[in-house]
Amino acid sequence: MNTTASVELTGITKRYRGTTALEGVDLSLRPGITGLLGPNGAGKTTLLRILATVLAPDAGVVRLLGRVPTSAEALAEIRRRLGYLPQEMGFPRGFTGFAFVEYVAVLKEWTARDSRHEEVRRVLDLVDLGDVATRRVRALSGGQRRRVGLAQALLGAPDLLLLDEPTTGVDPEQRVSLRQVLSTAGERSTIVLSTHQTEDVAALCDRVVVLDRGRILFDGSVRDLVGTARGRVWLADAPDPQARASWRTGTGRHRNVGALAPRGSEPTEPTLEDAYLLLLGGRGQTTGVAA
Amino acid sequence: MSAGLLERPAAPAQTLALRSLAALEARRYARSPLFLIGVSLLVWTTTVATGDLAKNAATADPGDLDLLPAFCLGLLGVFVGHQLTRSLDGADEALGATPSDRVRRTAALCLACLVPGVVALVWVGWMSAALAMWRIPLSASISSGARAAMLLSGAVCAVGGPLFGVLVARWTRFPGSALVAVVVLAGWTLLSPRSAAWVAGGSPGWYLAYLVLLCGLAASAALFPGSTGPRRTRVLRVLGSLAVVAVVCLVLAVLPDPARIPL
Repeated sequence: MNTTASVELTGITKRYRGTTALEGVDLSLRPGITGLLGPNGAGKTTLLRILATVLAPDAGVVRLLGRVPTSAEALAEIRRRLGYLPQEMGFPRGFTGFAFVEYVAVLKEWTARDSRHEEVRRVLDLVDLGDVATRRVRALSGGQRRRVGLAQALLGAPDLLLLDEPTTGVDPEQRVSLRQVLSTAGERSTIVLSTHQTEDVAALCDRVVVLDRGRILFDGSVRDLVGTARGRVWLADAPDPQARASWRTGTGRHRNVGALAPRGSEPTEPTLEDAYLLLLGGRGQTTGVAA
Repeated sequence: MSAGLLERPAAPAQTLALRSLAALEARRYARSPLFLIGVSLLVWTTTVATGDLAKNAATADPGDLDLLPAFCLGLLGVFVGHQLTRSLDGADEALGATPSDRVRRTAALCLACLVPGVVALVWVGWMSAALAMWRIPLSASISSGARAAMLLSGAVCAVGGPLFGVLVARWTRFPGSALVAVVVLAGWTLLSPRSAAWVAGGSPGWYLAYLVLLCGLAASAALFPGSTGPRRTRVLRVLGSLAVVAVVCLVLAVLPDPARIPL
């Protein structure tokens, strides 16, 4: 596996009309899958858009795949090795799944027709859309449309793959299937997966970055983040009002996160979601803990 | 990523990448329902018009037949060009992360606007054959060269309309901008010195050159948004040059042509 940094961000700041989306973000990413977590408005999408070269930061230095995207040539060179699935994606009327992915393939400079068609079929098969490739995108379900979007991002096996909530609307079976695709891709590419689905991050990512209010709150391994919640999650017969979060599970017992051990409770193994909740709950204290 | 992974293509020459994209956009244009309606309308009206010419060959006046492709392909083409340009707006962010930037995509759309031009050229051939076959006499005031220029001006309008649609789509964002563009274009055509110039003995040849330059202006102006650095300067320079030459051609077009006998 290539261990040189594919992404190097230094002091990235971005503001929208007085609102700070990102504030002095430093980040270095190597091949592998990095999960990007954070509440709404944390700056995840802004960060992905900067990485995708569709948005320029107000301050800071961006280096992607060894190049600084300032000249048209450098931009084109980076984009040839980039795959991007934005958070929201509209599809033109009348396009079939195949036609849309082929259109993007042409934009990605697959000029030879035969190899282009072969590549389009490959990525559509990867996301299990081979059977419905000739159906109009607008006639497909939300989850299928999301997979068409993912297929275009996978074209050419990009070295840097940026996915903004790729599993939204995708059924559990397909999510597992997509995890297989992404875990294989992550063996050679740098993948940034922005999501609200902590279970996807836990299942796929070797590293997790938590953003909050434009700053990095945590940057480290999934295991380390989960470790911060160890001993702070309990199963009890009643909800604990002191807990950061508490809910009744399917077994009838209450899962209390961030609480002192209530009477009659028993400790349980924390999940990434527990750790994430605790991290955000204590953000007043933990800001600046970023690795 | 998978066993059947294909090698990512090396950076192709700019022209090759543009050609592939233009071919794809041309296919989209050719399949556009509005374009197909325009072609059907052109075939139908031309069939009717040439039938009338054949029946009254001795007294027939081809008159303003050159307006047919301008109307059927050009005016409807404003909507087609606009729609093709805006149809991918929803995917703009994903498309913006590809090596084909907005300028290249616009250039491909402009090249796709040649599709109605090709149909219009076929129409010019059809009309020329019909006029020759039925030995329809030329009007006293119009030479064969001028007649050909007038027919060709219809073909140029068939390209100009869609180019104007692309231009409007690149510069405006409000809903209904295509309709406004069509109204503006129709008004411009009606108020233009064209008809009056022919009557006064102007030059259809120069007018044809003026129309070609307008097409160039529309394409250059459409390429302007998204262009940066030296490319932006180049586009501006081309725009300025075309505008100057277009004004000169228009002046020459409306001035009386000494080779013609005014009506």
